[in-house]
Amino acid sequence: MWSALAENINYAAAMILFCIGFYTVIMRRNVIKKIIGLNIMETAIFFFLVSIGYLKGGSAAIVTQGAEYTGMVNPIPQALVLTGIVIAVSINALSLSLAIRLYRNYGTLSVDKLKEVNE
Amino acid sequence: MALSHHFVIYVVITPLLVALLIPIVNRWKKNWIIPLTSLALVISLTLSILLLPNVLASGYLSYHMGSWEPPFGIEVRIDFLGLFMMILILIVTLVVAVYSRRQISSEIEDGKTATYYALYLIFSASMLGFCAAGDIFNMFVFFELTAVTSYALVAIPGTGRAIKASIKYLLMGAPASILILFAIGLLYSVTGTLNMADLADKITSLGYGPVVIASYVIFITGFAVKAALFPLHIWLPDAHSIAPSPISALLSGLFVKMGVFGVIRLVHSVYSTNLSFDLGVISGFLTWVAVAAVIYGSIMAIMQRDLKMMIAYSTVAHVGYILIGIGLTDVRALMGSMYHIMDHGLAKACFFLCAGSIIYQSGYRKIDDLKGASRQMPLTCAAFALASLSIIGVPPTAGFISKWYLVWGSLNADNVILGVVILLGSVMAAIYCFRILYYMYFLPPLKGNWQDTVGEAPALMVGTSWILAIATLVLGIVASLILPNLQKAIEVFYIS
Amino acid sequence: MTNEIYSIQPLIAIFLPWISLLVILIMPGVHRRLRGIIHIVVSLVTFGMVLSFLPNVLDGRTFGISVVTLVEQINIHLTVDALGYYFGLVITFIWLITTIYSVGYIDHRENRYYGFMALCVSFILGCAFSQNMFTYFIFYELMTLSTYPLIIHEETDVAHRAGVKYLKYAIPAGAVILFATLFHYFWGGGDLSLMSSGTLSLETTSRTVLMIMFFAYLVGFGVKAAIIPLEGWVPDAHPAAPSPASAVLSGIILKAGAFGIIRVVLNIFGPSLFKSLNLWIYLAVIAGVTMILASVRALRQDNLKRRLAYSSISQVSYILLGLSLVSYDGSLGGIIHLAHHGIMKACLFLCAGIILILTGKRNVSELSGIGYRIPITMTCFTICALAMFGTPPSIGFISKWFLGSGALQAGQPVLIVVLLFSALLNATYYFPIIYIAFFKRPSQYQPRVLLKDELSSIMLWPTLVLTILVIFAGIWITVPGFPYSLVDRFVANIFQ
Repeated sequence: MWSALAENINYAAAMILFCIGFYTVIMRRNVIKKIIGLNIMETAIFFFLVSIGYLKGGSAAIVTQGAEYTGMVNPIPQALVLTGIVIAVSINALSLSLAIRLYRNYGTLSVDKLKEVNE
Repeated sequence: MALSHHFVIYVVITPLLVALLIPIVNRWKKNWIIPLTSLALVISLTLSILLLPNVLASGYLSYHMGSWEPPFGIEVRIDFLGLFMMILILIVTLVVAVYSRRQISSEIEDGKTATYYALYLIFSASMLGFCAAGDIFNMFVFFELTAVTSYALVAIPGTGRAIKASIKYLLMGAPASILILFAIGLLYSVTGTLNMADLADKITSLGYGPVVIASYVIFITGFAVKAALFPLHIWLPDAHSIAPSPISALLSGLFVKMGVFGVIRLVHSVYSTNLSFDLGVISGFLTWVAVAAVIYGSIMAIMQRDLKMMIAYSTVAHVGYILIGIGLTDVRALMGSMYHIMDHGLAKACFFLCAGSIIYQSGYRKIDDLKGASRQMPLTCAAFALASLSIIGVPPTAGFISKWYLVWGSLNADNVILGVVILLGSVMAAIYCFRILYYMYFLPPLKGNWQDTVGEAPALMVGTSWILAIATLVLGIVASLILPNLQKAIEVFYIS
Repeated sequence: MTNEIYSIQPLIAIFLPWISLLVILIMPGVHRRLRGIIHIVVSLVTFGMVLSFLPNVLDGRTFGISVVTLVEQINIHLTVDALGYYFGLVITFIWLITTIYSVGYIDHRENRYYGFMALCVSFILGCAFSQNMFTYFIFYELMTLSTYPLIIHEETDVAHRAGVKYLKYAIPAGAVILFATLFHYFWGGGDLSLMSSGTLSLETTSRTVLMIMFFAYLVGFGVKAAIIPLEGWVPDAHPAAPSPASAVLSGIILKAGAFGIIRVVLNIFGPSLFKSLNLWIYLAVIAGVTMILASVRALRQDNLKRRLAYSSISQVSYILLGLSLVSYDGSLGGIIHLAHHGIMKACLFLCAGIILILTGKRNVSELSGIGYRIPITMTCFTICALAMFGTPPSIGFISKWFLGSGALQAGQPVLIVVLLFSALLNATYYFPIIYIAFFKRPSQYQPRVLLKDELSSIMLWPTLVLTILVIFAGIWITVPGFPYSLVDRFVANIFQ
C-alpha cells in the first residue's frame, strides 16, 4: 500500500493541496484568505495536470529533424496548465480588485461583518 | 472551400473582435458604441441563421481551426442543439443590448459605458463559443471567459451591494470552475484526448472505470453551481437582483442555461446517455435534487418582497424543471428541457427588462410599491403579464409546450410523481406571477406612489420588452416548426 | 368525425367578439352611449353569425377547421357539431342579453368590463367549438383567466377576496385538467377527439388509468361546474361580481365546466364504457349530494345573489345527474337543462341587479313590499322562480320531465325522489322571496312606486325578453333552434 502511495505521491499531494484550498475557501471568514484558498485550489489542479503528462526522464516535446519521438513529456497538459494559469491570473486580478473596492466601501473584509451591513 | 465554411467561426469571433474595437471607438465617437455592438450581434445572428439549413441537412458542422484535424487540432462543432442555443443567445443579447441604450445610464456611471459594452460583447461571444466548442477544454475556456465577464458585469455599478454580490458570486463560481478543470484533467488522464467525439468513443471502449465516474460527478457538480441548482444556488438571488437589469436578464435568461447546457452536452455527447442509464443513481439523484429546486425556488419566490429577488428565485425553480427533463433520460423530456431553456430564457429576460423599466421610471423595487403600476405604465405591465403567462405555462404560450413535453417525458418514464411536481410548480408560478399582476392591475397605488409625473418607459425599452414577450407567444404557436428538428437532433443520442 | 366539411366559420365566430377589443383599443374614450351601442352591435353580430350555422347543423353536417398544429399530432381544431353549436348559441345569446343590460348597469371602468367580457365569450365559444380535448383545455384555461377581472370588477374588498378565492380554486383545477389530458393522451390511445361516442376502451387502457383519468377530469371541471366540495368560490364570486357578470358566470361559465363533463362522459368515455366501469354511480352520488346540500345551504342565505348562487350550484348538478343516468332521456334532460337553467338563472340575476340599482337592496329580508314598487321586475322574477322548480308550462318543467323519465328509463326511481326533494327545497327558498316581495308589509314607510324608473331603464327589456322565452320555449319546445331540436340530434347520435 505504501509503495502505491509513494508511486502516486504527486496525485496525493495534489489532492491534499486541493482539500486545503477548499477548506480555506469554505471556512475562512476573510475575503482575502478565501481568495488565497482559491489560488491554492488552482495550484493543486495545475500540479495534478502537469503530473499527468510527466514522464520520468522525458524530454521536452520539441520535434526537430531526426529526433526520436519516444520519451517525450506529453505537451497537452502543459498547454492546459498554461491556459489555466492565464485564467487564474485574470480571476485573481478581478477578485483582488473587488476586494479592494469592498474594503473601501465597508472598511472591512470579514464576511460576518459584511453580512451584518444592511443597506 | 467556400466562404460560408468559415461562417462557423465568424459567428463567435465577430463580437469578440468588435469588443476589442469598442475602447478604441470610445476615444472618438461615443455614439457609435451601441450601433457597433448591435451590428456585431446582428452579423453573428445572420451568419448563424445562414448556417441553419446546413446544420439541419448534415446534422452538424465541423470546423478545424488552422486546418488541424481533430482530435489533435481544435475542433469547432455546431450541431442543432448548439445552434439552437446560439440563435437564442444572439436574439436575447441583441434585444437586451438595444434595451440597455437608455436604461444602463441610470445604473452605471457615464464613463463606464464603453467598458460595459465591451464586457457585454465578450460575455455574449464566449457564450456562443461555449455552445460551439467541440472539445471540453475549449468549452472550459469559454465558460471561464463567460464567468469572469459576468463577475465584472455584476460589479459594474460599483456600489457596495454590487461589489458584495459579485464577490459572493465569484467565491462560489471560481471553485466550481476549478472543479470543472479538475474533471477535465481526470478524464484526460484516462483517455488521453479532449475532443468530445473522440472522448465518447474512448469512454465507450474503455468502459466506465472509477476515474471516469468520478470525473462525471465532478463535472456535474461544477456545472450545477453555474446552473444554480439548489442547494448550490445561494449566489444567484443576490447576483441576479443586484446586477443592472439588462445584465440580470442575460444572467437569468442565458448564463444559467450555459450550466444546464453544459450538463446536457456532457451527458449526451461525452459520456453518452448509456452512462446515465448505468449510473441511474446519479441521474436519479439529479432528478430529485431538481424536484427540490422546483419546490424550494417556487416557495422562496412566493415569499419575496423585492421584485427582482422574486424573479431570481423563480429562475432557481425553472432550472429545476430543465434538470428534471435531463435526469429523465427520455427524448420527449429532453425536448421539453431544450424548449424550456428557450422559452424561459425569453420570458425571464422580459421579466427583468420590465423590472428594469419600472425601476428606471419610478425607482420602485419592492413588490408592494407596484400596486397600481398599470395606470402609469400600461405597456410595460402588459408585457410583464404576457411573459408571466409563459412562465406559468398557460397555453398556447411556449411555456406550455415545454411543460407538456416535460410531463410527457415523465409519463414515458413511468414517473407520474415528476409530472405532478411539474404541474405543482406551475401552480406555484401562477401564485407568484398573479400576485404581481394583481398588485399592478387591481389595487390602488400606495399613498404617494405612482404620481402622474411617472410616465411610461421610453419607446425603445417598451418595444424591446414587447419583442421578447411576443416571442414567447409566437414560439408557442409555431412550436411545430421547431420541435421536429429538435427531436431529430436529440434522437441521435438515444437510438443506439 | 371523418365527414367534416372544411369551413372557416367557427374561427370567424370566435374572433368576432375581438372587434369589441379593437374598438376599445382604438377609441378608449368614446362616448358612453355610443360605446354601449357598439358593444351591443358586436354581440348581436356574433349571435347572428352563430345563428346562421343553424341550417347546416340541423341537416346533420359538422364543419370546422384545423387551425394550427401545436405539438406533434395535436391540433387546435375547431368543429361545430350539434352539442357545440347548442352551447355556442346559449353563450352568444346570453352575452347579447347581458350586454344590453350592462349598458344600464356598468358605470365605471366600462372598457375593462366589456373588453374582458368579450374575451371571455370568445374563449368560451372556442370551448364550445373544440374538436379535441386539447383545444378545449386551451380555451378553458384562457377563459378561466379572463373571467377574473369580471369577478373583481367592483373593486371592493369583498370582490378582491372573492377573486383571490376564485383563482385559488380555478388554477389548481386547470393543472388537474392538464394532468388528465396528458393521461388521456399518453395512456388512452392518443385520440383526444371529442366528436365520437367514446374513444377509450378497456382493451387499450387499464381500468386504474381510466378511473384516475375520469376523476381527474371530474375534479378539474367540477370546480367550474361547482360540485360539492369544490364549489367554494361560487357563492362568493356571484354576489361580488356586477349583476350582468353574475348572470354570465351562472349562465355560461359554470356551464363550461358542466359542458366539459358532458364531453368527457358522452364523447370520451362513451355511454357503454361509462356504464361498465360503474362510473355513473359516483357521478350520480356527487350530483345528488350537491343538489340537496346546496339547496339546504341556499335556505340560510339572506343575501339575494348569494342565495341565487347556491341555487346555481344545485341546478348545475341536474345536468350531471342527467348524464349519470346514461339513458337517452336522462342525457337529453340534463343537456337541455344547460340552456334552460342558463336562461332562467340569468334572468333571476338580472332581476336582482335591477332591484339593487333601483332600490339599493341586497338582502332578501329587506325586500318587503318591493313587488309593488317595481312590479314588472318582480313579476319576471316570480315567473322565473316558478320555472326554476319546474312549474309547467315553462322550460324548467321540460328539463325536469326528461330527467324524470330518464330516471325511469334507467330504472333508478331513487333519483326521482332526489329530484322531487330538490324541487321541494327549491320551492322553500324561492317562495319566501316571492312572499316577502308581494305579501309582506314593509316595516317602515316606502316612498313611491318606481314603475316609471323601471320602464325607462334599459335593463328591464333584456329581462323581459328572457322571461318571455322562459314560457315560450317551455310551450313550443320543438321549434328548430330551440334546445330540444339540437340536443335531440346530438344525443341520438351517441345512443344510436
